Amino acid sequence: MAATLRGCVWTLALAASVQAFAKPIAFQDGWTTMAEYGTNTMRQAQVFYAPKYWWSGGLSLTEIIADDRSFEHDISSVQLNYLVKRWNLPEAQGNVFAWGGLGSTRGHDGEGQFTGLATVQAGVQVDYETRRIYASGKQEWFHSSRFTNGISTVQLGVAPYEHDYDEIATWFLVQLRHYQGGVLPGTTEVIPMLRLFKGNFWIEAGADHKGRAQLMVMMNF
Amino acid sequence: MRAAKRVLIALCCTLAVAANAKTVKMQVNGMVCAFCAQGIEKRLRAMPPTQDVFVSLKDKVVAVALKDGQDIPDDTLVTQMKEAGYDVTSVQRVDDSLADIRKAIKGK
Repeated sequence: MAATLRGCVWTLALAASVQAFAKPIAFQDGWTTMAEYGTNTMRQAQVFYAPKYWWSGGLSLTEIIADDRSFEHDISSVQLNYLVKRWNLPEAQGNVFAWGGLGSTRGHDGEGQFTGLATVQAGVQVDYETRRIYASGKQEWFHSSRFTNGISTVQLGVAPYEHDYDEIATWFLVQLRHYQGGVLPGTTEVIPMLRLFKGNFWIEAGADHKGRAQLMVMMNF
Repeated sequence: MRAAKRVLIALCCTLAVAANAKTVKMQVNGMVCAFCAQGIEKRLRAMPPTQDVFVSLKDKVVAVALKDGQDIPDDTLVTQMKEAGYDVTSVQRVDDSLADIRKAIKGK
């Protein structure tokens, strides 16, 4: 059952796909599907529906893999997202989002294989964007009786031109990511990326200094 | 008495123009990306009196063309935009078509 659910979410997210580090709530009565491949250490697929512009709910799948392969956590959860605060300015928008979820984890670590491990997750994101600059910071936590993983991500971007609704938006970004919980001990990933989006489709791609790919796709409808 | 008549006529003319206006043009704060525009467009298109919608991120404009003989009160539009997550700073009734508004904005 869990495997079927996992397959459905990945298929939905990848087929329709992606806004992972965009916003977990797109717009009222809208679906957001996103999928992210984070170098070799993090993969995520999410599908959310927003009954209101200030909250959404859905399914989230996150795989966290230690760089030395000493552990892997596959976390399946039901997640609720909440827009805590929005600032609508003449040339900009700022947001604070928070989310939480309950789920189950399977995987392995130094003590062996496990499955059905109750897991809670929580996160917060702050972002600010104009049509020329973008900045966001996100912190996620995953906690169970066997592990606590954290992922801190910061993105800073500039757009070479101001796009309009009917044009392709182009962004040059730098993503900084730091893991807590032993995924990449003592290391902060620095990943230059290109982001393109138009209409309801968004894609980001980049690579770290070892050439490992960072990819995110998102689609709203 | 004559002054009052003039005011009444002017008022009637203004109301007539407003009633016949085929497009509602709103200035909106917070629209910075295509996803913002997409949500707004989807919401406004779902309203039965809406003929067409035009969104310009550059000019922060949302324009709604109305079907013949139909209308959406300003308050309703402002509420709809608020519920979409954005703030309307002004609402204007104009006789321009969406094509005119689009042309004026793109021609800048």
